[in-house]
Amino acid sequence: MRYVLIDKLLEFRKGDFARAVKCVTRGEPVLDGDRYPAPLVLEALLQTGGTLARISLGPERRTVLGKVTKASFPAFAYAGDVIDLEVELVQSRPDGTMCSGTASVGDTVVGRAEFMIVILPPEMSPPLSPEIDAWRRNLARALGIPVTESDPTESDQ
Amino acid sequence: MAEQMDEQMDEQEIISKVKSCVATALGRDEHEVELESVLSTDLEAESIDYLDITFQLEKSFKITIAKDELFPQKIFQDAKLVQDGVVTPAGLEELRVRMPYANLDEFQSNPRLANIQDLFTVGLLVNYVKAKLAA
Repeated sequence: MRYVLIDKLLEFRKGDFARAVKCVTRGEPVLDGDRYPAPLVLEALLQTGGTLARISLGPERRTVLGKVTKASFPAFAYAGDVIDLEVELVQSRPDGTMCSGTASVGDTVVGRAEFMIVILPPEMSPPLSPEIDAWRRNLARALGIPVTESDPTESDQ
Repeated sequence: MAEQMDEQMDEQEIISKVKSCVATALGRDEHEVELESVLSTDLEAESIDYLDITFQLEKSFKITIAKDELFPQKIFQDAKLVQDGVVTPAGLEELRVRMPYANLDEFQSNPRLANIQDLFTVGLLVNYVKAKLAA
């Protein structure tokens, strides 16, 4: 099961920075009372960083989380909040990136993280699920970044 | 004499910074990181940590480390260079070319692939950085 936690990408500077939003709705089964779980705030930052890394460095490749080196959650996000996700690529290599991200609701920081995204070599990049692949290709097209078309017969995993 | 001292200080600075990089990447205290520490066994580095160490060294020394340069892996997948879990003479030669900063004396006496991880010590990283900075 995969969750896409980026509702909208607001700003994208290839190889540098991305800003996205995650809208927390009351209907989400993951809510803990009114609270949005901190690990999912982290996951939203990671997805923003993963998207930034992949679209910047290899749209046809798969990215995986290498490690989270720092994370803190100074406050909670609640149902009805719009979480602003900002991630910058601090360091990039052909095989990975170091990212720094901040999640905030208005002026309140609800999460900070530093993390490593690994860019898998082609032989270790299994096909994406059709939904994620379509989202990725649409995003790349919107950003004017060429991507290779995947084989529609390929299945997830 | 002064020149020798400068060189020595430079080397101490390199050692100190390499230890700091390793400690940061592996979440260790710097006093746990010795020159002879083997990354995998003594410091329990996992595969992803080698990439982190590479990031730390690049940042700290402002160098660029090509993929597969510091921690070569592809050569160990070549059947000419590794046979039945043992690095062949051609493989040893390849290692000498790819890793001139590594001391292969002990490894070549028992060149089992399983022993290759023992080469990757903090001292090897120091030698690598010195060679890289001198290039």
